[in-house]
Amino acid sequence: MKKPTANFKRCWILSTLLLSAFTFIGRRAIASPPEKTTEKEELLVLPGEVGRRGERLVVSLRGEPKTLNPLISVDTPSREVIGTMQADLVHINRATQLTEPALAKSWKISPDGLRYTLVLRRGLKFSDGYPMDADDVLFTFRLYLDEKVHAPQRDLLIFDGKPVSLQKVDSHTIVFQLPKPYGVMERMFDGWAILPRHLLEKPYEEGKIAQVGALTTPPNQWAGLGPFRLKEYVAGQRLVLERNPYYWKTDAKGNRLPYLDELVFLFVPSADAQVLRFQSGETGVISRLGAENFSVLARDQKDYAMVDAGPGLEYNFLFFNLNDLGEKAPPEMIQKQKWFRDLKFRQAVSSAVDREAIVRLVYQGRGAALWGLVTPGNRRWADEKLPHPPRSLEKARELLKEAGFSWGVPGNGDSWLQDSNGKPVEFSIIAQSSSSERSKMAALIQDDLKQLGMRVQVVPLESRSLLNRVTQTKQYDACVLGAASYDADPNSDINVWLSSGGLHLWNPSQAHPATPWEAEIDRLINEQMYASTFEQRKKLYDRAQEVLAENQPMIFLVSPNILAGAKNTIGNFHPAVLEPYVFWNVEQLYLKNGTENAAR
Amino acid sequence: MRYLLRRLGHALLLLAGVSVLTFLFTALAPGTYFDEMRMNPQIGPETIAALRAQYGLDKPLPLRYVFWLSSLVHGEMGFSFAYNSPVAPLLVVRARNTLLLTITSTLLAWAIALPLGTWSAERMGRLPDRLLSLGTAMLLVIPDLALALGLLVLAVRSGWFPTGGMASVGFETLSPFNKLRDVALHMILPVTALVLSTLPLLFRHVRAAIADILDAPFLLAALGHGIPKRTLLYRYALPAAANPLISLFGFSIGMLLSGSLLIEVVMSWPGLGPLLLEAILARDLYVVIGGILFSTFFLVGGNLFADLLLYWADPRIRTESNAQ
Repeated sequence: MKKPTANFKRCWILSTLLLSAFTFIGRRAIASPPEKTTEKEELLVLPGEVGRRGERLVVSLRGEPKTLNPLISVDTPSREVIGTMQADLVHINRATQLTEPALAKSWKISPDGLRYTLVLRRGLKFSDGYPMDADDVLFTFRLYLDEKVHAPQRDLLIFDGKPVSLQKVDSHTIVFQLPKPYGVMERMFDGWAILPRHLLEKPYEEGKIAQVGALTTPPNQWAGLGPFRLKEYVAGQRLVLERNPYYWKTDAKGNRLPYLDELVFLFVPSADAQVLRFQSGETGVISRLGAENFSVLARDQKDYAMVDAGPGLEYNFLFFNLNDLGEKAPPEMIQKQKWFRDLKFRQAVSSAVDREAIVRLVYQGRGAALWGLVTPGNRRWADEKLPHPPRSLEKARELLKEAGFSWGVPGNGDSWLQDSNGKPVEFSIIAQSSSSERSKMAALIQDDLKQLGMRVQVVPLESRSLLNRVTQTKQYDACVLGAASYDADPNSDINVWLSSGGLHLWNPSQAHPATPWEAEIDRLINEQMYASTFEQRKKLYDRAQEVLAENQPMIFLVSPNILAGAKNTIGNFHPAVLEPYVFWNVEQLYLKNGTENAAR
Repeated sequence: MRYLLRRLGHALLLLAGVSVLTFLFTALAPGTYFDEMRMNPQIGPETIAALRAQYGLDKPLPLRYVFWLSSLVHGEMGFSFAYNSPVAPLLVVRARNTLLLTITSTLLAWAIALPLGTWSAERMGRLPDRLLSLGTAMLLVIPDLALALGLLVLAVRSGWFPTGGMASVGFETLSPFNKLRDVALHMILPVTALVLSTLPLLFRHVRAAIADILDAPFLLAALGHGIPKRTLLYRYALPAAANPLISLFGFSIGMLLSGSLLIEVVMSWPGLGPLLLEAILARDLYVVIGGILFSTFFLVGGNLFADLLLYWADPRIRTESNAQ
């Protein structure tokens, strides 16, 4: 009886009048879709290949989604599923990396950059047939902004401590008022799933919003604006979605999308098992593939084709512990930090690391060497002027010499590097044991640095322990880690750039920038955030990338390619380098000549 | 009756002990569920602190244990951070699948090990016995994981069996008979892997126990009385050898259970294994504690069952406990 229902008000009156048993029946009756509205639908017409209706597509997810509720989801499987069930106001096209109209058919930005006026499409309906209007948008953002809801994305709507505010102009027009101009502009609307007020208002008022959208929710109690809707969930096994008949997009010929009747997610606990399922033909699409599995699958492409979409937005890097550890730090660590803080030392390490070898050996060539945070996959924002110095041990040795380092007794076979006090240069690199790629990178770096006479140990650590050390206890020398921007826009990495950011990993959450160059980066990043034109922002952002490269607090290594595969029978399969790599156009995916893809 | 109560008391004590220890150990493990969020550029530290407080992670450990106990009494077994729901329902669904796998494998393994061991013991030292010993010794040294992977390769290459999972896509549309067939087909590989991994041990114990008893004077006397060999073996030798085997039965349930957690992950069987693994990696504390407690519960239950069997099968225990 706690479940949200279609028409809360009527229901509430009923329940005050009638016995609870009758209420239940009453709710049931109301929960059916309301009568058809006569309002003309303004559908979005998608260009591109026209497909064929019907069939079912089966795909595997690594791990089980935890929730269908966009307000609380953080894990990858949940977000992948939610992405196919929900829609946003303005959407970033994953292929072009540019914005395009979605639920909002148009938007206007006031000249001062503070007011965004969005006009909704007419005739929009949730997947349960219930009409959607401006009130749903207001309600949605009220939830995202409510501190008690703990929406993880909430911070993106707060500018200098002040939240964005919304006003309804009419049932199809909403004004977003920003406290400050924001350079990201309409891109900021991407990813905010518009939620059904008619289902969520009651649980929200009862303070139970975090509990709704569990996978066990009955299908008629859950709705979204995405191409698919909930049909069945079997714990530990699969999630079945069905076509949303009210979806607001059509193809070039006017056929309503999506093409697929059903989308089935199988929960498969390991990457290797995913490959097996794909090989045996049980699943039709595979994504988030490692390079090794990709090569295995690529060897024997008969029924399926593998696609290498090029470098994504993930960047892997090495960084040293530059935290201010205070007086409690052990003398050994103070000694080490003296090296780490020396720019020439970091530059020498960067110069000695063979990035191409990492690409070749760790990713079998399916990756791009990296000299900055913005990967080549990010076409609009990567700084082309950023220098790509080739690997040079000579230059590294020269830099070390300049910094006062020297090599121990030569002629002893192996000569080890020592600092100006005669202390041997010795440190450890921690890496995630769960990521074989990053462990391998650390091992290759160990080898590269050995050639400079540095004694490096690689310490594989379980992921949480590693993060605990890096962000909490700060007991580490150096670390190999990776991060992925969730959008091409620079602001998605803001916590890495800003010295006050939690992901400013080498020295996170600083009260004041510890170095002049960190202050410079802070200034550049803050300025670009509120700059109004792309050209201005790009110029500032390029400069920030250059300052970062000059100072090498992060020694960038490699960006892996986005790898995926699909059966030959699947049409419109075009993996992108932005998440969700293969399902960004799920409404357009179709099966060419079906039967063989149906269930066994 | 006293015997039963005492055993039950032991079992409860064990469960309580395990719960305290797992609580302690999971708390000692570095990192928490929310650490991964720190790596998410979209989530601010204040939000994470608020979430930690919401789930009571900022409270001292003994207090958390008391909270957990009270939620156990309410049948919730704590709250999963990842699923945002009580732990018990999450576990119950998956525990059913794990039990299905484990019970089937246990019964099957014993159904094979008993006659095979007896048969082999009877031919002690002859060629069939030696071949069986060699075969089981080889099976014994192959790790479970290799066995499971080998079977999976077979499934992919031949296409005879599904490569994992518990049901086909479109399961809900099948007729009841076909549903049964479908699940059975999906069970073949994991059950085979589990049976093959425990069979050698069981076989060797059965064989040794029977061989021991075959030399007993009462059997030689019976043989002298002209009782047929088969009757002798199955009616007299087997019950006499049952005592150590029943203890082993309880033990084998535990073995299969821990084996099945691994097999489940490899073969993507929707049991406790994958859930537990994911929860451990994600530090979803209460799911880990709940999962371990469930496994302990099965183990203790299996042993309790074995103790009962022993009570029924061995008159010595009956008289001993009645005399007390």
